[in-house]
Amino acid sequence: MQLGFLPSFPLTFSYALLFGALLVAGMVGGEVARTFRLPRILGYGFVGFLCAPFAQALGLDLLIDEARIFVNLALGLVLFDLGRRFDLQWMKRDWTLAASAAAESLLSFAAVFATLLALQVPMIDAGLAAAIAMTTSPAMLLFTVHETRAEGQVTERAMTIVGMNGLLASIITTMMVASSHLADSTQVEVALLHPIYLFFGSLAVGAAMAWLTRVVARNIEKSKDVHFTLIVGMVVGAVGLATMLKLPVILTLLAFGIFSRNDDRGYELLNVNLAPLGRLLYIVLFVITGASVPVEALASAGVVALLFLAARGLGKLVGILAVAPIGGLRMRQCLGLALAVQPMSALTLLMAHDIGRIFPQFGHSLGDVFIAAVIIMEIAGPLAVQAGLRLAGETVPDDGSMTLPPRTASTRGA
Amino acid sequence: MGLDFRVSEPLTFGVELELMVLNTRDYDLARGAADLLARLAKADLPGEVKPEITESMIEINSAVNRSYDTLLSQLGAVRDAIVHAADRLNLAIAGGGAHPFHRWTERRIFPTERFLKVSNLYGYLAKQFTVFGQHIHIGVASPDDAVYLTHALAPYIPHFIALSASSPFAQGQDTSFETSRLHAVASFPLAGQMPPVITWHEFSRYFDEMQGYGIVGSMKDFYWDIRPKPEYGTVEIRICDTPLTIELAAQLAAYAQTLAADLLENRRLEPVEPLYRVYGYNRFQACRFGFEAALVDPYGKKHVNLRDDLLATLDRLLGRSVALGTTMPLRALADLAREGRSGAEWLRTEYAATRSMPDVVRHQALLWRGEAAARR
Repeated sequence: MQLGFLPSFPLTFSYALLFGALLVAGMVGGEVARTFRLPRILGYGFVGFLCAPFAQALGLDLLIDEARIFVNLALGLVLFDLGRRFDLQWMKRDWTLAASAAAESLLSFAAVFATLLALQVPMIDAGLAAAIAMTTSPAMLLFTVHETRAEGQVTERAMTIVGMNGLLASIITTMMVASSHLADSTQVEVALLHPIYLFFGSLAVGAAMAWLTRVVARNIEKSKDVHFTLIVGMVVGAVGLATMLKLPVILTLLAFGIFSRNDDRGYELLNVNLAPLGRLLYIVLFVITGASVPVEALASAGVVALLFLAARGLGKLVGILAVAPIGGLRMRQCLGLALAVQPMSALTLLMAHDIGRIFPQFGHSLGDVFIAAVIIMEIAGPLAVQAGLRLAGETVPDDGSMTLPPRTASTRGA
Repeated sequence: MGLDFRVSEPLTFGVELELMVLNTRDYDLARGAADLLARLAKADLPGEVKPEITESMIEINSAVNRSYDTLLSQLGAVRDAIVHAADRLNLAIAGGGAHPFHRWTERRIFPTERFLKVSNLYGYLAKQFTVFGQHIHIGVASPDDAVYLTHALAPYIPHFIALSASSPFAQGQDTSFETSRLHAVASFPLAGQMPPVITWHEFSRYFDEMQGYGIVGSMKDFYWDIRPKPEYGTVEIRICDTPLTIELAAQLAAYAQTLAADLLENRRLEPVEPLYRVYGYNRFQACRFGFEAALVDPYGKKHVNLRDDLLATLDRLLGRSVALGTTMPLRALADLAREGRSGAEWLRTEYAATRSMPDVVRHQALLWRGEAAARR
């Protein structure tokens, strides 16, 4: 009897099964972390670390390759969200906000650049690494803000600063592409035109998508459900469009978000909450990030990574402490803000990966440093954000209650 | 005896306004009171800015005033200072009696000892008390006058409700009321009205009794619509929604001042009990129907239309308003009543035009700033 209708052995896991399994496993890891009063993201990353040894057997490495588009989607959503919180009007009214973002970006660039040069890293690699070091993981910040229900000046300013340092870093790295062409001794025209295409192409696609989104929004019902679908569709489309046109996804989506917010004079687009969808994508993203970073990198590059993170962290701290108090922030708020902009994660890996494709020697010399730094930050990042937002007094107390236990039943003193 | 009445200059007046602190993304309530207050602490303001029960509220108090003009200019100065400070923090400020779509579960209690005690005692009522009212203080020459005026003002409470009404929406829905704010107040056990005592001596005995039971510690514990305020030597009218503009807030105060002047001079001699038999019904009518309310006149034993009653009262006060300098604001209120231009009507028109609650609140915040674009 032929049993050809049965699956053949050994069974191969389908991507859907893997995706579902990672989602549930990540969620469980997050809840375990929660019972220890730790941020859930820590649990997701930890589940990823646990999966890493079996990654190959499970076909996870294939999923990771196949998942690049999915990583882009997740990142696209969060970058768009971040771009929407990037408020140029606010920067105009409070110059210290833009100045503290510029200060923390530039000082972290300078500190990392100097540290890497001191460690004998070639100048161009050190410059690229320093540019990537400017960025903060927007996902870790948004996720932790959502989880702790943080609200206030530090939360709002952290979002804007992270948007700004992401923007600065992607502009600098895009411009540095030119030097790779010069190093390859291709024509000067290409060396000039390529970065211009990348930069203005991203801005143009971002602006066009924002315009199109508003046109559609103007002609449909102004309800949150409808606008949610519109925005998710447009974000996914923008990721696809950027990939198709060989434009940087990061800059395109950031530009899309920024134009959506700052060009919407008619307030046609509702501010919908993308977090529920983002959460699903991010659980899997953090598990995959955890599973895909080889822990061995810690042994080979751990020390350099620690120096790198220390220089970066110090640059951000000094930059914020130098400017934010002028804007009226109290010391606890400034320290909280400096902690909240520390995380590094998938965005960093993605930028390092993209640059490694253009500059292969960069991947060889510093690839492991970034991986080791991301491993450390998978743990330290969420803790830093949580501690920062707590220090600033912006999180909801852990027990969720606002009251003291009743001592008397009297109405006196009310 | 726990109550000392500090006599003040008769007919001086002042206002307290509770205001919404909003984010500028979707114009929901935001947690910003502490940062705003810290920023305003250095400013030299004619009056005070204080925290309220949740972190999305601030309260401004004017100084003690003799005239409408100085009150209006004071409120303008304080408003401008707050709006400027809010701009720097990317927050917006608005008037209105209740936020149209905020969720009370997301509110956080402002951590002062008193507010934590209120929250501890009243549970979720404390967060639901994130509503925004205007209080008007009128100075009186003696504690007996305070008791008298508290009763004498009671029949006019529906006027103040209809004129200030600006909370037709709650939890994202049209409540069909002109003001939904007063329901949040009514849940408290010590809400309502002063008992029908006639002299300060009687009132003090009542207060001592309540204090003896442990029900109250101070006058603050009575959440009455009108109450004597012995610390200030005033009668405090607490029924109004915070209007959408400081101009209307000052006009309402001018109405209260002129009315008090009239009531103190032409003393009402009727017994107070019949007043309170119809009080709750009249209050409901005004909250629900605004200027169209059908009020019961317990002395004439008939129904009167609120708008007619209000216009007749304003007309009667015009003579007295000349000396007080309140003619202009009283005329403005009469126009407003005649045309039915309440804050509630403004908000409903905005919603009909935009079909979006965040847009309504955004326009509300522009109107509060006094920006021409949002004015009609």
